[in-house]
Amino acid sequence: MSMVVANGLTHRFGGELALDGVDLVLDTGEHMAVLGDNGAGKTTLLRILATALRPTSGRLQIAGLDAFRERRRLRHYIGYVAHNPGLYPALSAAENLEFFCDLQDVSRSRVPEALEMLGLGSVAHRRASLLSRGMQQRLAIARAILHEPRLLIFDEPDASLDADAAELLGLVMKDRTAVIATHDHALANRLCPRTLVLRHGRSLGTATHLRVVR
Amino acid sequence: MNPFRAAIAVARKDLVSEWRTREMVPALAQFVVLALLIGNFGFQIDSRNAPSIAPGILWLALVFAGLIAFGRTFAAEREQSSLEAMLMTPASPVAIFAGKALAASVLLILCEVVLLPALWLFFGTPVSAGVVLAVILATIGMASLGCLFAAIVARVRARELLLPLLTLPLWIPFIIAGGQAVQSAMGLPGSYDQAIGLLIDFDILFVVLTSLAARFVLDE
Amino acid sequence: MSRLEKASAGAVALMALAGAAIFFYAPTDFLQGAVQRIFYLHVSSAIAAYGCFAVVLLGGAIFLRTENYAADRWARAGALVGVVFTTVTLVMGMLWAKKVWGAFWVWDARLTSTLVLWIIYAGYLLVRRLTEPGRQAARLAAVVGIFGFVDVPVVHFSVTWWVTHHPGPVIINDALPPQMLATFLFTMLCTLVLAAVMITIRYRIETLMDLKQLVPSPVQVVITREPGGVAGPVQ
Repeated sequence: MSMVVANGLTHRFGGELALDGVDLVLDTGEHMAVLGDNGAGKTTLLRILATALRPTSGRLQIAGLDAFRERRRLRHYIGYVAHNPGLYPALSAAENLEFFCDLQDVSRSRVPEALEMLGLGSVAHRRASLLSRGMQQRLAIARAILHEPRLLIFDEPDASLDADAAELLGLVMKDRTAVIATHDHALANRLCPRTLVLRHGRSLGTATHLRVVR
Repeated sequence: MNPFRAAIAVARKDLVSEWRTREMVPALAQFVVLALLIGNFGFQIDSRNAPSIAPGILWLALVFAGLIAFGRTFAAEREQSSLEAMLMTPASPVAIFAGKALAASVLLILCEVVLLPALWLFFGTPVSAGVVLAVILATIGMASLGCLFAAIVARVRARELLLPLLTLPLWIPFIIAGGQAVQSAMGLPGSYDQAIGLLIDFDILFVVLTSLAARFVLDE
Repeated sequence: MSRLEKASAGAVALMALAGAAIFFYAPTDFLQGAVQRIFYLHVSSAIAAYGCFAVVLLGGAIFLRTENYAADRWARAGALVGVVFTTVTLVMGMLWAKKVWGAFWVWDARLTSTLVLWIIYAGYLLVRRLTEPGRQAARLAAVVGIFGFVDVPVVHFSVTWWVTHHPGPVIINDALPPQMLATFLFTMLCTLVLAAVMITIRYRIETLMDLKQLVPSPVQVVITREPGGVAGPVQ
C-alpha cells in the first residue's frame, strides 16, 4: 500500500516557482532521501508533504486520505522536524516534550522513553537554550515521534548531528515511512534505498541508489 | 482533543517561560512608570487637574504597553519557529490562539498591577475597584484583538510598523468606553454603569469575532 | 475605444454634469452660503467609500470561503478606491468645517469615525504592500478588511455615545428643498458610477499584475544531469 501519493505538486512564493510539478509515490515503510542544492525546493517539498504548506497546485494523498481536506486527522500520522528545531529556550528538554504531549493529546509518560531513545536522558532537566545545537536537533526529533507517527519527515536532520547521526536516525525511522532532505549523499545512501533529486524545483527522477561522484 | 486543555497548556507554557526569564513583565512595568513620568512633565499635573488628566495617561501607557506585549508573543514564536511545530499538532489553531491571548492578557494585567498603584502614588487619583474592573475588562478585548493582529503581522516584513497601525484603530471603542468608566470612577461626570456595560458588549463581540478569525490567520 | 475607456469617459462626463448641477442648478443656501455646495460631493463620496469598503468585506469573505482570487482582486480594488473617496470626504468636510464651525477639525462622532475608517483601510493597503502576494497575503488582508468593516459601526456607535455625554456640535439636516435634493441625488448617482468604474479599472490592473506574477519567469530553467549522473545503482 502507498503511504504517500503526490501528483504535480507545484508551489510559488510570490512570483518565484519553488516547486514545479513533482510526482512521487512512496510505499509504506519506504525510506526516501531528497537531495538537491540550496534553493532546489527541498524544504518546500517537505513542508508540503508534512501538510505544513498548501501547494499552489497539485494533489497529495497520505495514507489514502486527501492531505488538505483531512489535514487535522493526518497530523496524528505525521512527524515533522523542520530545519530549525523550534524549541522553547526557557523550558527544559522534558518540559518541551511534555508541552507537545499535551498538544498531541498523548500521555506525558511518553517523554522519558523518547528522551532515552535519542540519548537525551541525562539532560532531561536542562533548559533547551543550554543544549548544544546537536542536542537541540535530537530534542526536535524526539518531539516529532511523541505521537508514534507513521510518516516521518526530516528536513536536514544531520545538519548539526554528530557522527552517530545515521545510527540514531536509522533507529527512529525503523518501521516507519520516512522522507529526509539532506546534503549528505553518504548519509542518504546509508539510510535510504531510494533517492529523489530536485533541481530548480523539478524532480530529476528517483533512483534506487546514488553513485556519489563528488 | 479538548481545546481547553490545549489552550491552557499553551498559556501555561508562555507563563512558565516568562517566569523563568522574567523578560516581559519587568520591562513593561518600567515602561509604564516611564510613561507616567513623561505624562507628568508634559501636563503640569497638580491635585486639581489630576482626575481629568490621569485617566488619559493611564490609557496611553496601557495601549503602548499592550502593543509591546502582544507584538512580542507571536514574534518570539516565529523567531524560534516554534509556532509551526505547534500548528503541526492536532490541536486546533483557535485553541493555540486563545492560549497565547490568555498568557498575554495575564502579562498585561501584571503590568497593570504596577501601573495602577503608581498612578495613585504619583498623581493621588483614587484607584477604586471600579477603575480596576474597567481596566481589566478593556484588557480582555484589547488582548484578543491585539493577539489576532500580532499573529497577522508576525509573518509580515515590517511588523513593528504595522501592528500599531492595524490595532490602535480597532482598540478605539475600548478606549472610549474604558476611558469613560475610569473618568467617572475617578469622580468626573458620566455614567459608570453604562460604560462598563459597553465594555462587556465589546468584549463579547470581539472575543467571538477574533476566535472565528483565528483559524484563517494561523492556518497555513 | 475599449469598453472600459467608454465607461471612464462616461463617468467623467457625468461628474462634469454633477458639477454643473451643483454650481448652477442648486440654489445657494440661505444660512451657510456658497460653502454649503460642498455638501453634495462630500456626502456622495462618503457613501461611495462605504460602498467600496463593502466590496472589500464581500471580496474578503468570499475569498476566505472559496479561495477565489478574483474575489481578492475585487477587495484590493475596493480598498484603494475606497481610501481615495474617504480622503475626498475628509478633505471636503474639513474645508466646510473651517468655514462653518470655524475649525478644520472637531471631535464629532462622524469625523472621528471617518478618520478611523481612513486609518483602517490605509492600514489594509499597507498590509498588501508589505506581504508577499499569494494565498497567505490574501487571507490576512481579508481578515483585516472584515474587522475594519465591523469596527466602523462600533466606533461610530461608541463615539456617538461618548459625544452625547460631552455635548458637541451636531449636524442636523432639515428637509432639503427639492432642487437641492435633486442635485444631491444626481451627484450621488454620478459618484457611485465613478466609483464603480474606478474599481473596475483597478480590478483590471490587479488582474494584469497577478498574471505577470503567475507567468513563469522568462529565465530558462536548464535541467542537466551532472557528470557522473545522479541515477544508477551503486555497484
